Amino acid sequence: MKPMVRKVVLPLIAFVAIVSIWEMVVRVKWISSFILPEPSAILNSLIEDREELWGALKTTTFSVGVSFVLSLALGISSAIILFTSETVLFAFYPYTIFFQTVPIIAIAPLLVIWFGYGIPAVVASGFIVSVFPVVASTLTGLLSADPNLKDLFKLYRASRWQSLVKLYLPSSLPFIMNGLRICGGLAVIGAIVGEFLGGVGVGSIIDVARAQQRIDKVFAAVLLASLLGLLLIKTIDLVSYLLLRNWHPSEAKDL
Amino acid sequence: MKKISMLMAFISLLALADPQPVKLRLALNWKPEPEFGGFYDASLNGIYKKEGMEIEILPGGVGTPVIQMVEAGKVEMGISNSDEVILGRSQGAEVVSIYAVYQTSPMALLTHSERGFKELKDVFENPGTIAAERGLPYIRFCEKKYGFKNVKVVPFLGGITQFLSDKKMTQQGFITAEPILAKKQGANPKTFLIADSGYNPYLTVVIVRKDFAVKNPELVKKFVKATQEGWRNYLKNPALANKTMVSLNPTMDPETFQEGAKAQIPLIETAETKKFGLGYQSKERWKELASQLLELKVIKTTFPAETYYQ
Repeated sequence: MKPMVRKVVLPLIAFVAIVSIWEMVVRVKWISSFILPEPSAILNSLIEDREELWGALKTTTFSVGVSFVLSLALGISSAIILFTSETVLFAFYPYTIFFQTVPIIAIAPLLVIWFGYGIPAVVASGFIVSVFPVVASTLTGLLSADPNLKDLFKLYRASRWQSLVKLYLPSSLPFIMNGLRICGGLAVIGAIVGEFLGGVGVGSIIDVARAQQRIDKVFAAVLLASLLGLLLIKTIDLVSYLLLRNWHPSEAKDL
Repeated sequence: MKKISMLMAFISLLALADPQPVKLRLALNWKPEPEFGGFYDASLNGIYKKEGMEIEILPGGVGTPVIQMVEAGKVEMGISNSDEVILGRSQGAEVVSIYAVYQTSPMALLTHSERGFKELKDVFENPGTIAAERGLPYIRFCEKKYGFKNVKVVPFLGGITQFLSDKKMTQQGFITAEPILAKKQGANPKTFLIADSGYNPYLTVVIVRKDFAVKNPELVKKFVKATQEGWRNYLKNPALANKTMVSLNPTMDPETFQEGAKAQIPLIETAETKKFGLGYQSKERWKELASQLLELKVIKTTFPAETYYQ
């Protein structure tokens, strides 16, 4: 099969088939459109409510972007701090795992009280759920540098800074990229949860539309949130490919 | 063979003596609280059983999609509100309301009495923050009637934390619960009913699928009769149902249950229900509500008022 067929045509056929079956199942009333709105109703909402949805999407994109960048910067730097000293590492590492399990929906109302309504609470929520995977995967990467290379660096009396920049960070790059993929998806989820209670963005539209029994609008908003997440993850994939293609086997294939 | 036939005879005798009750599920839209007292009473006192049915009451919570559950047939009955029914119908849900607990909506705004507000419109005319579920039509109604020039509306987080943490905060709540809880926490709330604005949906209505109501008219009648009896009991003596509900919902203490049950009596028992029976629904009220929602542009079309309830 030609790569073009495999990568573009087949997914397209699958998409058209699924959407048509979905539309039909609702049209012939096997499923009520009130339970599962048909694709055309969702499309209709996307068109009819475009101004509201577009404005909300911009707000959400901003919050997700800020959460992601904060997670990236603080996640990697705290992993490096943990890595520099065994004492610090043993003292704090268990908590980085523990905090990954924080049920964000339960503490989100408190974030609103602590940080205020709107974007600050949303960013806090997105950051809290997305930072720990970055810490954990960066740390794993730092700890799994090639022992032979470590010996080599020791032999040449490389400074700690040199070892960090030339050995440990590069060798943990594939791990960091993996952590960032997880971070991107979680930042979107965390931000949407924050928006339920912060009262802005796509999450707020979902919350309001649900109370108004506008299930079509809920789906339209969910679709946009998912596309945002997809876009973010695909961007990370691209960056990862550009950074790693020349030397790491994980990206030594075409995308 | 003889044994089997004897067994059969015995079973049929049993069935005669105690006909199998019809099993129905009633999905609540919130945790067990005084607003559901009559249903628990009718269930605990065997009133439903007397009418040949067994009602399983399923507690709900934040965002329980009751109309969707009823529409999809996951439950036979559910608790909703009359404005939700009209919104759902306009989106294609085939449901109908058969019993309306609250004749006057218990939805209220809690303000700190230190602010000295005299009526509902003061809440909107003075600078402050209002925590409300912004998807609910009542808040749109208030926006249209009073305007939001002076107030900031933020999402309602549930509970009374928002109210307690800010002296300029107004929050939504049921007059049967939040004001009592706020008082317990040392606040001094002054409460205004939303109904005073002219927006007064029936709250806590029982909904069923339209085809269920058409196929089982007798069952619906019996359910309404038993529910009325349950509510009459609960209005007089809420102790029994409260005891069960406290065990199901320990976040609310027995005293608040007691006070809530008392506070809601005038909202449930009105001149109209004394004439037509508890749970009464009038065509005029449904019609007025539908046209209010149309005017607020939360729905695009209305149906004849008599198709919303029965």
